[in-house]
Amino acid sequence: MRVLAAILWKDLITEWRSRDRVVAMLVFSLLVVIVYHFALPEGTGPDIAVHTPGLLWVVFVFAALIGLNRAFAMELENDALAGLALIPADRGWVFAGKAVANALLLFLVQGLAAAAFGLVFDIDLAASALPLAGVFALGTLGIAPVGTLLSAMAVRTRFREVLLPILLLPALFPVLAGAVEGTAEVLRDGGPSFASVQLLLVVDGIYWIICFIGFDYVLDE
Amino acid sequence: MNGLGPIASRLRTVSGALLGILLVTYVYTVANAPIDSVQGVIQKILYVHPPLAYGAYLGFVVTAVCGGLYLWRADEKWDRLAIAGAEVGVIFCTLMIVTGPIWAKGTWGKWWSWDPRLTVTLLLWFVYLAYLLLRSFSEGGARTARFAAVYGLVGIALIPLNYFVIEIFGGRGMHPENLERGSLGEGMGLPFLMGNLTLFVAFWWFVLARWELENLRALGLAKRADPMARAREEIA
Repeated sequence: MRVLAAILWKDLITEWRSRDRVVAMLVFSLLVVIVYHFALPEGTGPDIAVHTPGLLWVVFVFAALIGLNRAFAMELENDALAGLALIPADRGWVFAGKAVANALLLFLVQGLAAAAFGLVFDIDLAASALPLAGVFALGTLGIAPVGTLLSAMAVRTRFREVLLPILLLPALFPVLAGAVEGTAEVLRDGGPSFASVQLLLVVDGIYWIICFIGFDYVLDE
Repeated sequence: MNGLGPIASRLRTVSGALLGILLVTYVYTVANAPIDSVQGVIQKILYVHPPLAYGAYLGFVVTAVCGGLYLWRADEKWDRLAIAGAEVGVIFCTLMIVTGPIWAKGTWGKWWSWDPRLTVTLLLWFVYLAYLLLRSFSEGGARTARFAAVYGLVGIALIPLNYFVIEIFGGRGMHPENLERGSLGEGMGLPFLMGNLTLFVAFWWFVLARWELENLRALGLAKRADPMARAREEIA
């Protein structure tokens, strides 16, 4: 647990000092929102409300990919990755620290990007901010573990930025299905249904366990 | 090198011979199977499509199980078998994804439908394409093997999760629930059985051949890396 806290603290403090990942994720998210404006000529009509959950999660996935690509790339400098591998504790905790940091950054960007989306497409997301935040958090907790695990793999390959989305996107289907459904239910009924929350919890739990164990085999010196 | 090599080689010979016999009977029974009264001749895809699906899933199970064995035992032969399973699985899966829409166009009237089973299989196909890309983009050696094993296990965990998703959100299936329960017309049982049997044996024949090839490659690489062996070869 102490390792988790230390890694988390290290990642957050580096991010706070440079702010490059969050800024990159945010700028990219806003650009995607602008692309939506061109992709949906009549997007500002009532139609947009139906598509909001899906469109939002596309933004979030793109933001996550941008952030995750950097998650381990920054550890390559000065061979910091080898240092992480040599930590005298279960490497799973290194993973957990990294994954929690990734989740927090993504969650922050989600909030800002959703606010911008609601603003420009005139959708009142603030009214259901709390349940929305809950669904976003559950979805993010599903993206973060697989994303962190696969990012640690991709960073050790050629074409790492290309490989990560190819590895990650097929694995995200259960998370995205639950998250999009949950978001739609919040916007429609004011709260997510038991089924989507249950699905997200189950998937999150399974992913955290698999990735916690699997990370031991992924990180090496 | 290991005791499994000669056994695998013998198994491949036996399955190859068996495959030859089965193929002839298979083609004969399919050619003589009755034409479906509703769907017409296109229904004969039945004798190829589901057997391919079983092979595809089997390949992915082989990959995941061998990946797990590799992580557990750190024995490279399991990793090489995992490669064989993934490659043959992807080929079976690709053929299934090709034959499916042809049948669908003839019977459902459209090439594709987001039927649960289709969706899950398509996702699985992407997972294992990613698996092969991961292998080819990594630098090789133990790290590649470990990465691939972990990814293969994540991939197999996705199958039940994806079905869980579909069950919760109630995807309407267009695939028949159970083919075996007497839904086959008269005279269609035998060619269907032959199709399953033949492609099952073909699957293992391909896997064993691919495994042997990978074993030989590893042997060749080891030999090239060993200066003594090279010197001995030069003298001879």
